[in-house]
Amino acid sequence: MLAVNTGSDSGLTLEMPKRRDIVAIVLIVLPWTLLITVWHQNTIAPLLAAQKDDGQDGRSNSRNTFAFKDSCSLQKREIVEVVRTEYVYSRPPPWSDILPTIHVITPTYSRPVQKAELTRLANTLLHVSNLHWILVEDSQRRTPLVSRLLQDTGLNYTHLNVETPRNYKVRGDTRDPRIPRGTIQRNLALRWLRETFSVNNSQSGIVFFADDDNTYSLELFEEMRSTKKVSVWPVAFVGGLRYESPKVNFVGKVYGWKTVFDPHRPFAIDMAGFAVNLHLILSKPQAYFKLRGVKGGYQESSLLKELVTLSDLEPKAANCTKVLVWHTRTEKPVLVNEGKKGFTDSNVEI
Amino acid sequence: MATRMKLKLKTVFVLYFMVSLLGLVYALMQLGQRCDCTEHDLPKDRTISRLRGELHRLQEQMRKIEATKQPQKQPVKPSPPTIFVITPTYARLVQKAELTRLSQTFLHVPQLHWIVVEDSPHKTPLVTDLLMKSGLTYTHLHMPTAKDRKLQEGDPSWLKPRGVEQRNEGLRWLREDRRAQPGGDSQHGVVYFADDDNTYSLQIFEEMRSTQRVSVWPVGLVGGMKYERPVVEGGKVVRFHTGWRPSRPFPMDMAGFAVSLKLVLANPEACFDGDAPMGLLESSLLQGLVTIDELEPKADNCTKVLVWHTRTEKPKMKREEALQAQGLGSDPAVEV
Repeated sequence: MLAVNTGSDSGLTLEMPKRRDIVAIVLIVLPWTLLITVWHQNTIAPLLAAQKDDGQDGRSNSRNTFAFKDSCSLQKREIVEVVRTEYVYSRPPPWSDILPTIHVITPTYSRPVQKAELTRLANTLLHVSNLHWILVEDSQRRTPLVSRLLQDTGLNYTHLNVETPRNYKVRGDTRDPRIPRGTIQRNLALRWLRETFSVNNSQSGIVFFADDDNTYSLELFEEMRSTKKVSVWPVAFVGGLRYESPKVNFVGKVYGWKTVFDPHRPFAIDMAGFAVNLHLILSKPQAYFKLRGVKGGYQESSLLKELVTLSDLEPKAANCTKVLVWHTRTEKPVLVNEGKKGFTDSNVEI
Repeated sequence: MATRMKLKLKTVFVLYFMVSLLGLVYALMQLGQRCDCTEHDLPKDRTISRLRGELHRLQEQMRKIEATKQPQKQPVKPSPPTIFVITPTYARLVQKAELTRLSQTFLHVPQLHWIVVEDSPHKTPLVTDLLMKSGLTYTHLHMPTAKDRKLQEGDPSWLKPRGVEQRNEGLRWLREDRRAQPGGDSQHGVVYFADDDNTYSLQIFEEMRSTQRVSVWPVGLVGGMKYERPVVEGGKVVRFHTGWRPSRPFPMDMAGFAVSLKLVLANPEACFDGDAPMGLLESSLLQGLVTIDELEPKADNCTKVLVWHTRTEKPKMKREEALQAQGLGSDPAVEV
């Protein structure tokens, strides 16, 4: 194809070499421009589309570190964008047969802000598909406040209760780290799950421990849905830091903990920083949170060390670089004007 | 000599062309190979797109069900009055968390327009991003508080009134926006001042939607009590049940009332007075708008608590501060 006309060489005019040069230049440049455009299309365009996608769909969990993969699945992006818009009114979202169920275990106890906390937590959970809320009260019997609240929300729920024995209860407000709050309640929920679901059951599920005063983004629930064993992510406002997070190496494996407070704990993570696959819970029926003799900050480790090793952990939230859950705490309301007898009508529920 | 030179050039050229052609072919093969890699991950991708498709289908179903239900539930009016929620906000550690859970509540309320006013000289990317991803109808404004009116570090929260300039800016925008829109329907609406750390039930929004002038209801965990409320007799507000300075003209919290849009537009001068003494901020607005017997009691004649004046603790940052002093603070690029 290369027209090597040596014949015309002899009769060289000034134009001929010029034309030949031009042809030569074109033929040199052509394959490179093709190469560059092909490479350009493959790397830049999917990245751009992914960025736009992330901007429009806050719930997209497919942050694209591999642009090449996505160039083959344009349709996926379109579906995601359409899902975004008509979202407001369906509550709770319809139950899907294929999404794994997220079992959210929340221990709660009576105090003035309880109804407010549970209300706003319910408002959050109402957006999550296939969610099962297991609310465990620290009380002798199930209170009407919580029963009514659960019924009114329309969520799929299980209402349990178990009272923390008095010698374990935190006395007054004192933060006694040797007695982790909510432990007995969480264990009851785990036991309920083991009694309700059999190991052989193929139903997929994820177990997440959500305290009633934290703040959860909707993206978090979608991140944890793909948990195979135990997945982990950063949590804001714990350990006296802006956030604590697992340390993830370049191959996506957890190798340590980025915390100041005792980073040598087996699992230096907050209760809100991990989720466990239901199957793992069911297959290790002896794994519970340790009640007695647990040092401050070791409660999570007491459960997780029975379930997984560090290398089995699955980092989520873009390899643990995004904060999707905040360990907020609600101030104790000042009720000084109630006085000894109570100024307000005690029949009014708050 | 000339021919040899030409020959050399020719061979060089040929070689170059062959090499670049091979390179192109290699790249194309690489392209093909990438698709092969995704062939292995395609089942996962397929599952994901199948799940998403299923989600989309189910939501479509729900929407259809809602659409058929709506004629029975909604009144004759084509669309319910819009609730304009004005939220002042300022940058602090828990800001993103507060706005996130607030938006999650608002996402359940139909016909809600969120007006977020930042206490800042310019719009921050944190709030811009959050609002964009929230899925809500919103307006993003900003209005910095004058330095002498701003709370300093260590000041108790009651020392200076907060959010005044921001709420007034929200009102100003609303008035301007509505003036630009013709038609009587644009006058239908309710204005509510929602602080970003309170807790709102979904019922309160439905209660306030029918506001004709100013409606009121109890607020939990405020005024040093379990709740504060207007006392209703014969369907009218006669006095207020509050433990703190009940002699105020309107002794209630910002979260305890809503004003109809009509009233806001009819009184273009009505706004919050930043110079008002402590606790009289609400009164400074309401005094010019309504009298006590014109107030409309909601929430079952003010016997139910549907909104709570919760406050979020400031997170302890001792270790963070210690690390930052050593230059080892957490990555500031990670937004919290």
